[in-house]
Amino acid sequence: MAGRRVLITGVGSQVGSLLADRLERDPDVEHVAGLDTRRPKVTLERTEFIQADIRDPEIGGLIPPLGVDTIVHEQIVRQSGSGMSPRAMHDINVIGTLQLLAACERVTTLRTIIVRGSAGIYGAEAHAPQFFKEEMARLFPLRTRFQRDVAEIEDYFETYARRHSGVSCTMLRYQPAIGRGLRTQITRYLSQPVCPTFMGFDPRIQLVDIEDALEALVAAVRNPVRGAVNVAGPGTIGLAKMIRLAGRRALPIASPLFGAVTSTGQRLGLDNQSEDFQRLLRYGRGVDTRRLTEEVGFTPRVSTVQAVESWAEHAKAAA
Amino acid sequence: MSSIAAAIGFMRRLRAGLESGLELPEAITRGASALPRDARETVTRIVERLEGDYDEDEWGFDEGFTELVEPLFGFLYDSWWRVKVTGAERVPAHGRALLTANHAGILPWDATMISMALQREHPLPRYPRFMVLNWAFDLPWISAGMRKVGGVVASPFNAMRLLEQDHLVAVFPEGVKGTGKPYSERYRLQRFGRGGFVEIALRTGSPIVPVAVVGSEEIYPKLADLPAVARLIGAPYFPVTPTFPLLGPLGIVPLPSKWRIEFLEPIETASYGPEGAEDRALVLELSERVRGEIQQALYANLVGRGPAFI
Repeated sequence: MAGRRVLITGVGSQVGSLLADRLERDPDVEHVAGLDTRRPKVTLERTEFIQADIRDPEIGGLIPPLGVDTIVHEQIVRQSGSGMSPRAMHDINVIGTLQLLAACERVTTLRTIIVRGSAGIYGAEAHAPQFFKEEMARLFPLRTRFQRDVAEIEDYFETYARRHSGVSCTMLRYQPAIGRGLRTQITRYLSQPVCPTFMGFDPRIQLVDIEDALEALVAAVRNPVRGAVNVAGPGTIGLAKMIRLAGRRALPIASPLFGAVTSTGQRLGLDNQSEDFQRLLRYGRGVDTRRLTEEVGFTPRVSTVQAVESWAEHAKAAA
Repeated sequence: MSSIAAAIGFMRRLRAGLESGLELPEAITRGASALPRDARETVTRIVERLEGDYDEDEWGFDEGFTELVEPLFGFLYDSWWRVKVTGAERVPAHGRALLTANHAGILPWDATMISMALQREHPLPRYPRFMVLNWAFDLPWISAGMRKVGGVVASPFNAMRLLEQDHLVAVFPEGVKGTGKPYSERYRLQRFGRGGFVEIALRTGSPIVPVAVVGSEEIYPKLADLPAVARLIGAPYFPVTPTFPLLGPLGIVPLPSKWRIEFLEPIETASYGPEGAEDRALVLELSERVRGEIQQALYANLVGRGPAFI
């Protein structure tokens, strides 16, 4: 496995930067390259930074000369907000993936693709089994735009994997991540003065700690398997308990009014919630992580409850 | 009488608290000071849960909460339905097992009474996890409460995972066909689906314990069905009973029938191996056997019980 050459897309994201830093210190990795429009968030020693937009066809000329054997596709936007329109998010996710795969056609050395995908493909459903297995992605209709985008990305990689039997494609389906320094929909939600909830619902939420999210990527680079693999911390947490651990108050809203109240709140400067996130707040979602443990050989160490607790401690200390 | 006076005192203080601008949990706590000490403790612990102070497993089962609501179910068990139990000791004290029972009505009263029966009569009481009709998980409060006392969405994947974790799982293979049974067909078992519960038992090597519940099929005597209304609210059916929808929300109060619960001899499945789940003949044969045993026990207990309500 020695002498690996790895390209990370989305190296300017929190997880992308940390992954580059982690792989730089790995003796088995000969070369690390990172592609993004944003600069990496940490100082990197030997990572070759390529400043380019993944949506731009020019990456078709930039990627093949790197001679990589592994690509970690991390540039998938999981939430609108922070000034990004749903349209731009869709473009980065779907068009970006298409451009990347077009470039991959000309990378003859390629052996492994790891995608940091999303468990959002399962949706959040009242009647769902409590823990989705990998083969259950199409159990329910794709209801939101993000869900359809994730499904489209997965389809592109599946087609690519079929055409190139020599390349193994791992689709890691991540539950939302939480952790120190991370700003995601979950952490923004838990940082509000009050957290809107669906009155009478206490869904089971499942998260993954940032350290485990990173280690799962590293494990998949070391030991790639074909197809989808769920990534999540052990156990689940009730939403009410999560809000209590974060030291916030719940604001129960009757379900038919939820959309109206939160969109008014948004106009008043409160955080907006995507359709996916709203469904999560109502129905929750859990995934079965046996494939990650048994085939990739990595078991997340931090449980969902511990992940929330340690995030809350840091958030309190920072405030 | 004193309990009624205490309840009135509680409601008064609750209202005063809410009118003076307190939040609901605080108002409840203040109102509870009018109650006797043990009831006050119960109320305080329910309030803690409303505020997210609870411990549960990955399924949302909250043992503390289940103990907390036991007095309510105890009242139904002892006084309302006067449950008599036989064969509780046949339920394995450790490890996985699949309780299989007849079923009627949308609310899982029968599952809660089976659970109570094990708490009261089993030498080593354990809480069963039970499969609940999917529809209930779209309802506020009910969905949350159901999970806390051990209910899960009726899905073979949930049943498999629970059994692999060595839980005691209760299923009702009549499914929706059972819940929507008219009164005239009470205690006549519907088809047991395609025998999915047997496949689950075979895959996980769990013994099947047939359970016959007499009484549960008289608590909501369904006289008619209004499918148009059911479609409108997205329910599987809309029952007309002597009290519902005539008395409005009061109509969900179940009638006080007399109950008998009998746990039958467990049927061992481990010797067939997991590959037995793919043997259609075996699955249907076991499914018919379980159905036959429950049906027979139902008739025997109906005769033994006598009149339904006296």
